[in-house]
Amino acid sequence: MKLKKKLFEIFGPVVCAAVILIAILVSPFNFRSFNSKTIREAAVSQSTNIFKGTVVKQKALEEGYVPFMGSSELSRMDPMHPSVLAQKYDRNYRPFLLGAAGSQSLSQFWGMQGINNQLKGKKVVFIISPQWFVKRGINKNAFALYYSNLQAVTWLKTAKNTLMDRYAARRLLDMPSSHSDKMIEQCLLQVAAGQKLNKAEKVYLDLKYNELIHEDQLFSTIGMNDRVAKIDREASKLPRQYNYQKLDSLAYQLGAKNTTNNPFRVDNAFWNNRLKSQVSKLHGEQAKFDYVSSPEFGDFQLVLNQFAKDHTNVLFVIPPINARWAKYTGLRMSMINDFNQKIKYQLQKQGFNNIVDLTNDGREPYFMQDTIHLGWRGWLKMDQAVDPFLSNDQPAPEYHIDNYFYNKSWQMMQGKKLKQYLQTHQAN
Amino acid sequence: MINIQPYQNPEYFILLVIGLLPIMIGLLYGRRFRTYETLISIAFLVLTFGGVKWHQGIALIGYVIFELLLIGWYFNYRQKHNKSWVFCLAVILAIVPLVIVKLTPLFDFGKESIIGFLGISYLTFRVVGMIMEIRDGMIKEFHPWTTLQFIIFFPTISSGPIDRYRRFEKDYNNVPDREKYVKMLEKAVHYLFLGFLYKFVIAYFFGQYLMPKVDALAIAHGGWSVWVFLHGYVYAMDLFFDFAGYSLFAVATSYVMGIETPMNFNKPWISHNVKDFWNRWHMTLSFWFRDYIYMRLVFFMMKKKWLKSRIAMANIGYLTLFLIMGFWHGETWYYIAYGLFQAIAMIICDAWQRFKEKHRKMIPHNKFTEAFAIFLTFNVMCFSLLIFSGFLNTMFVVH
Repeated sequence: MKLKKKLFEIFGPVVCAAVILIAILVSPFNFRSFNSKTIREAAVSQSTNIFKGTVVKQKALEEGYVPFMGSSELSRMDPMHPSVLAQKYDRNYRPFLLGAAGSQSLSQFWGMQGINNQLKGKKVVFIISPQWFVKRGINKNAFALYYSNLQAVTWLKTAKNTLMDRYAARRLLDMPSSHSDKMIEQCLLQVAAGQKLNKAEKVYLDLKYNELIHEDQLFSTIGMNDRVAKIDREASKLPRQYNYQKLDSLAYQLGAKNTTNNPFRVDNAFWNNRLKSQVSKLHGEQAKFDYVSSPEFGDFQLVLNQFAKDHTNVLFVIPPINARWAKYTGLRMSMINDFNQKIKYQLQKQGFNNIVDLTNDGREPYFMQDTIHLGWRGWLKMDQAVDPFLSNDQPAPEYHIDNYFYNKSWQMMQGKKLKQYLQTHQAN
Repeated sequence: MINIQPYQNPEYFILLVIGLLPIMIGLLYGRRFRTYETLISIAFLVLTFGGVKWHQGIALIGYVIFELLLIGWYFNYRQKHNKSWVFCLAVILAIVPLVIVKLTPLFDFGKESIIGFLGISYLTFRVVGMIMEIRDGMIKEFHPWTTLQFIIFFPTISSGPIDRYRRFEKDYNNVPDREKYVKMLEKAVHYLFLGFLYKFVIAYFFGQYLMPKVDALAIAHGGWSVWVFLHGYVYAMDLFFDFAGYSLFAVATSYVMGIETPMNFNKPWISHNVKDFWNRWHMTLSFWFRDYIYMRLVFFMMKKKWLKSRIAMANIGYLTLFLIMGFWHGETWYYIAYGLFQAIAMIICDAWQRFKEKHRKMIPHNKFTEAFAIFLTFNVMCFSLLIFSGFLNTMFVVH
């Protein structure tokens, strides 16, 4: 009797903890809801846990937040930032920022898994960075930052034997982060090979999904950057009434005030922290940069394909590059022009016609906050297209996906070949 | 075929609990199911060294056969003769596989040796310890079966703690009485959960969350900056909580199997000096180096009367010990610099203690000096681990 009591004292709590944990993780119940304050915080936090998760994004989109997908420019929160403008002028939408430094097309594609239902028939603003389209495509470590097994499990539950799904599985298998769970890896291999998943695998995915979604419910809001106060502070710098002329001159003033220590009209802090010490090394350094031939075009096609499947109405933004900086670093404008033509062809050919092309605005003073990121007047100019797109009803888009854009030959096409291709195909 | 590394993921712990349950019930009722224990050990070894790591499994089998034959041969020889050169030969033969594994990357462009496997160092420490005790006549009988169990004891196979044969043999041949075993179980559960906290919460926070941020800041700043030093502290915390957590798992598992594997850490961050630190940090390794390298070298020097000064002998002992430890960690400049740094720290620590002894009256001793001693030791050790981490290499040498 004494032994039993003693053993119970030792193992009782452990058994209890294990039972509770398993019940929590595997049960299909939802045991957390998020209040609007949390959602508001999450919308501007750019936290990777939110990006990797599902539940907070779902809740936010259901409440009318509009995804602003992009990368590092989203963290340039000055008074003209879309989150600030939407709040100050009480627009009928609020941006939900999805992405931060390093979140490229492939991350965005996987980040959309789990919110496809919420994206159906809705609107999205998508900021494309030319800098994503480098020769090697997305960096594997950067991808790892934004990838979660939850994305893969959610996707695997509905994956089919289509070119799109095989391509997505193959691309994910290229990334080391997809190999952390052997069963998921096995499922991905099967989808990539066009095979069906068996019963046991499906059961595993269901249980795993419950586990991961519960982790998401419990932990995804931990460690969020609280930027709400920052947004409020920036908003207080804006005039009460919206007036484009007034705002533009305010943006001009703010830009001038914050770019006083360098000749490139780069934000003072950015200059001090990132450029000042190595500026001489960067002279002419980008002469060989090339954004025209890249596997990123294939990854971007996955994003487009997903939008088409969800019938999401998307406004694409192509930001410019700070012209002074480009000149100093020797970046070729002809290359940027080629990139622009190529990406626009890929968009328009498939019916994605809402494009804000800012490529030629790199010379505008205080358009960019630093070298490649939109700021002050750039944000405001973007808003000229974003506001009417989101505030007014839009005709439903008609997309027709062309699988050709998954081809390696398209991804790599550049120079004369690209010019010829575009000429012959645009003529028709 | 699946492959699971020890104490890395929930699956391993679940399998561990299932596998250990019969052993536990047996021990509670005073019985040790030796055959079952062996089968479970094999199962866990297959889990660790099977699947994609099968070549490591082959290397492990080859290694164990070789070392067993070597121990058996030396034991038989020692019963009749006791030549020093044969003893040296036996030790050299015992460490040859480890030396090959350690040197291969150096000569073969960073490639891993085909005879290597996870934990080869720790197995070698156990074998060398046995050979030394056979020489001393402390191990009086050779039981190949118990020796095999000792060498490949699965809870501690990958990174220790390094047990001693005679201690292990006593536990293995006995069944703890019920009262004692229940106490061991109580400790095991406590260690297991402390290990979870250490490894999966605190070490995760330092290693996965804080370290990338600090490193990014250090690299963005370039050159020497406060971030470089901060890396040392974060690394020290990550290393400690990760390794101490792992060691707690290993000890907990051993306890459930009725084996009192020694502890590896004893609050190292409250050490008053460097020597104290090494009595609290990775203890089974530092005691092994102390007993089998330092002590033997110093005795040898005394016997041969190489030097008159005991201080000089101790210092040579420290240098030898820590340089060997440095080379054992790996053939890179920073591991060796780390060894040298520790040896010098030890020598200074000794010199200071002698000085303090001589000038007892002049040097105050109170709560503040103690706090200062702890603070200083902590910082010196974190700096040594900054060297050890190789971060200086990435910052200043590689690019």
